Amino acid sequence: MNQTIIALAINGIVFGLIVALIALGLSIIFGLLDIINLSHGDFFMVGTVFAYTTLSVLGHFWPALIIAPLIGFALGALIQFSIIQRIKNNAALSIVATFGLSMIIQEIVRMTFGAAPKRIMPPITGTFGMFGIEYEWYRIFAAIASIVAIGSFFIFLKSTKLGVWMRAVRHDRDTATTMGIPTQKVYLFTFGIGFAMAAVGGVIAAPITTVDFRTGVDILPFCFMAVIIGGLGNLPGTVAAAVLLAFLEGVISGFATPTIARIFSLVLMSSVLLIRPQGLFKGLTK
Amino acid sequence: MKIHLPYAGLLLTLALAPWIIPIIGDPFWLSVLTEIIIWSCFAASINFLFGYVGLLSFGQALFFGFGMYGVGIGISSFQLPFWPAFFLGPFSATVMALITGIFAVRLTWHYFAIITVVFSLIFYFLALTLKSITGGDDGINFSLPDLFNFMGYTVSLTNTTTQYFFTLGVVVLCFWLIKIVMSSPYGRCLIAIRDNDVRASLIGINVYKLRLSAFVIAGFLAGVSGALFALFGRYASASYMFYHVSGEGVVWAIVGGVGTLLGPAIGTGVFILIREVVSSHWQHHALIVGAFAICIVIFAPEGIVGLWKKYSKRGPK
Repeated sequence: MNQTIIALAINGIVFGLIVALIALGLSIIFGLLDIINLSHGDFFMVGTVFAYTTLSVLGHFWPALIIAPLIGFALGALIQFSIIQRIKNNAALSIVATFGLSMIIQEIVRMTFGAAPKRIMPPITGTFGMFGIEYEWYRIFAAIASIVAIGSFFIFLKSTKLGVWMRAVRHDRDTATTMGIPTQKVYLFTFGIGFAMAAVGGVIAAPITTVDFRTGVDILPFCFMAVIIGGLGNLPGTVAAAVLLAFLEGVISGFATPTIARIFSLVLMSSVLLIRPQGLFKGLTK
Repeated sequence: MKIHLPYAGLLLTLALAPWIIPIIGDPFWLSVLTEIIIWSCFAASINFLFGYVGLLSFGQALFFGFGMYGVGIGISSFQLPFWPAFFLGPFSATVMALITGIFAVRLTWHYFAIITVVFSLIFYFLALTLKSITGGDDGINFSLPDLFNFMGYTVSLTNTTTQYFFTLGVVVLCFWLIKIVMSSPYGRCLIAIRDNDVRASLIGINVYKLRLSAFVIAGFLAGVSGALFALFGRYASASYMFYHVSGEGVVWAIVGGVGTLLGPAIGTGVFILIREVVSSHWQHHALIVGAFAICIVIFAPEGIVGLWKKYSKRGPK
């Protein structure tokens, strides 16, 4: 029993890191463009499909880690250019537009990839002993890969010119524009990066979950909750909230069914929203 | 009377629909029309909150589900006759709206949208778990009790035309209720809150109480549509409590035209019609529906009703 809980808790942390990767993209799109992106879960789903396709076409899993973010970035920029730019950062309209987009993405995947859920084998097999349990190597790899991706995103945001631009636009759009920052280009990059990060998350998660055109619908509320509980615009808070939520859910599912664990974490979340709507971590990071 | 002319025309057309439809096409379209009318009431409930009070709820499916289960459980478990079961649905939805509203309307905008999703997800998962009561994802089936049974003469909703008129009557009453509420001083206060809640509170409007009451009314409307849908499909299922159902309702309301009486009904009608027409020819109708939603948002950000108003104001020359 004890060992099961440890395993579930670690599973939770691993999954939380992947969710954090997706939620970060959601958070920057939300913070910079004022877009409530209901298709963000589907960006993740597209990542899992890339992983499956790469494995079946090239015979290897690893190229997907490069291919998925590149295509994801291009698709994200295309979506921003053709749709999001035209609705002028209106949050209510963005809900309709991204809901439509979500339908289109899911339907295209269903047309080309098929409606039946599929599984792929982890590229790293084997287990090792830890706290008296046998744990899969691949999940450890997934955690490390997510940490690397999250870390490089923060480094990008802190120390590249584009990252500084992104932070500046989020801070004050009008001043940033008058200072000569090409706001439109920043929007384009932001959306592209958001899509790319969700796609990487999808590739990493593909061997752990199933590859299914509906995956995005299930993961989306979770990502939104991480963004809100971490505090709007608080990126490290988002990461912490995602990991914390998934960890708690993992631990609780050791005692009850996964559905009841989900209910517990949702109740917890609503109390956080009511008591600290500014986010759990406000005042800790700044 | 000039303003009421379109309403009267629409009502007349709807009242004659059971006789018009068999002439121009398959009678199957009457059930599609019934479905459109039911979901219009659902979209109206979202529009009531978003268009008139400025609260974007992503959890109206929760009350839709309670309306459904109120009827379903009332008939199948409690063996209730028709009318008590039909009242149990919207009643339980209204009570639920009051309970969740006490917490939810403390928050606004993004936070409100998220907490309504969270609440509806909690009950969605609860409904999935409590299979013995709700039947989970498969739902519960029931057979319809009679509407009236008078001296051996029975009227039942199993007749498609009776079902249609029953649905139409209930939903028209609901829309009439919305119209009355919105033209009353109470409705003006709601609009004031939507436009500027700080100013509204400064002139003495109790923002919290009014928002809560609006949330309860919207919950009632969603409950009515859920109850009607349960009677229409003769089953209740947890899958209708998922947030995706709420999302669809939000899209219908915004595409039709937020803050207008008939906008939600028009949005719902257009989307369900497209779905029905395209899906009989091509299984990937979601592509068309999605593309249509995006086009409306880009080319008619005020919705279909907004587009119509803009066009008719310019006037035909």
